[in-house]
Amino acid sequence: MSGGWPTDVLFWAFSAMAVISAILVFVTDSMVRAAYWLMASFVAVGAILVTLNAQFLGLILILMMAGEMTIMAIFMVMFMMNPAGLNPMLMVHQHRTAILSGVGSFLALATVGLFAEFPDRPAAIVGPAIVPLGQELLGTSMLVFESAGVALLAVMIGAIALVSHRGRYGDAEQGSEEPPLEVETSQ
Amino acid sequence: MNPATAILFTGGVLGAGVYIVSVLDRLLAGTAAGNREGTAALLLDPFRSVALLMSQRRTVTERPDREAWALAPALLAGLAAVAFTAIPLTPGLAIADVPVGIVLFGAALVQVMVAVFLHGWSSNSIFPLIGGYRFAALALSVGIPFSLVLITTAIPAESLSVGVIISSQAELWNVLRQPLGLPIYLLTALGFAFWGPFQHPDAADLAGGSQTETSGTALLAWRTARAALLVSAAAMGSAAFLGGPLGPWLPGWAWSILKTVALLAVMIWFGHRTARPRMENVVKFGWLVLLPLALVDVFVSGALTL
Repeated sequence: MSGGWPTDVLFWAFSAMAVISAILVFVTDSMVRAAYWLMASFVAVGAILVTLNAQFLGLILILMMAGEMTIMAIFMVMFMMNPAGLNPMLMVHQHRTAILSGVGSFLALATVGLFAEFPDRPAAIVGPAIVPLGQELLGTSMLVFESAGVALLAVMIGAIALVSHRGRYGDAEQGSEEPPLEVETSQ
Repeated sequence: MNPATAILFTGGVLGAGVYIVSVLDRLLAGTAAGNREGTAALLLDPFRSVALLMSQRRTVTERPDREAWALAPALLAGLAAVAFTAIPLTPGLAIADVPVGIVLFGAALVQVMVAVFLHGWSSNSIFPLIGGYRFAALALSVGIPFSLVLITTAIPAESLSVGVIISSQAELWNVLRQPLGLPIYLLTALGFAFWGPFQHPDAADLAGGSQTETSGTALLAWRTARAALLVSAAAMGSAAFLGGPLGPWLPGWAWSILKTVALLAVMIWFGHRTARPRMENVVKFGWLVLLPLALVDVFVSGALTL
């Protein structure tokens, strides 16, 4: 997406959506709603990235968040022992600390925003930016990054292989009956 | 394409696709059971179902999340439509053939998890809730192999644009270049549309799962959206693995439609011929069979492209 007033309108609309749904995370009284309001906020941020011409980053953000937030909602419901997640419950705790730290971090960020010297000379765009950006970010450490990626993949496969191993009471499909106590018999 | 035309086009094509899914579903169910309906009945049955659902009363549950319950089918339909816009039927007939089209498609499909979970959760009833949980388990188990085989089609094309992926298959379709890809894609796509052997979220053993408490127009919307999702998945399968509009004699759009309908028929036929396995076996199958096979597909395709 590029330029023009429709992009500006979309940018501001998604910004408003991000802020409003972020506030709703704390206003709502249900864990599942809170998780999905947070996801709505992230989706809006992803859409903002798309309007800023970073389509890949924006869409990847939206792609990642759906699974994350569903898992988070289910885990919160499990840990809170609130089976449906529909029962009303307070989403905020430690009011005074929360208010103080919120105001404090806002003031700190605002100070940085007002007094920091940001570079105001946009670089001239010469040709496609992806190759120079990659050189700038990775430089000569490309091999290190690639090796780390393969190592991470190996770890993931290993983790799956470990957890798929038979549990203490056998396979999941075999039911969860506890094995009988084995009595040591000396012969 | 201007916005109004784009909306009409997407809605029209997906609507026609949903009708075809409905007819194929009845036809292949009848064939599987050995009692085929007459052609006229077959073609009219979808309209009868629509009329029946339109005249049903809405079920009301105790303290549901009304907004989420009402909007979940709309979200599912919207996601099917967004996924569909990423697929060019022919080079000139694309709504959003964006440079990262395949990521757009993937992002829309992953959000289906939100729609199904919210649909199951929001009615505040036990069977729908279990249906929602089941979809989370199902989607997480088939989601990674699904994304892997789909993204592998981008390797020979060296682009994430669906249009470039299609044109990269001019000499050799991906179904031959990456023989593991299409079967894994179709299986996992059935999972994302919770259709056939992967119907667990809406299965009969949960009295309808996430749709137990849904009735009337809301149920019509839900089933339509689900069929539209299957259509979008089949259309992407035809573009990513079967060369989409590529083919002799016929115009491109005709090839796209023929291939999509063929994939739909294969998926629906498979759904009627396969028993629904237990949920834990589905999870195991996804993580221990489909994921390693998808990784083999990635490594082999990458090595061949180098």
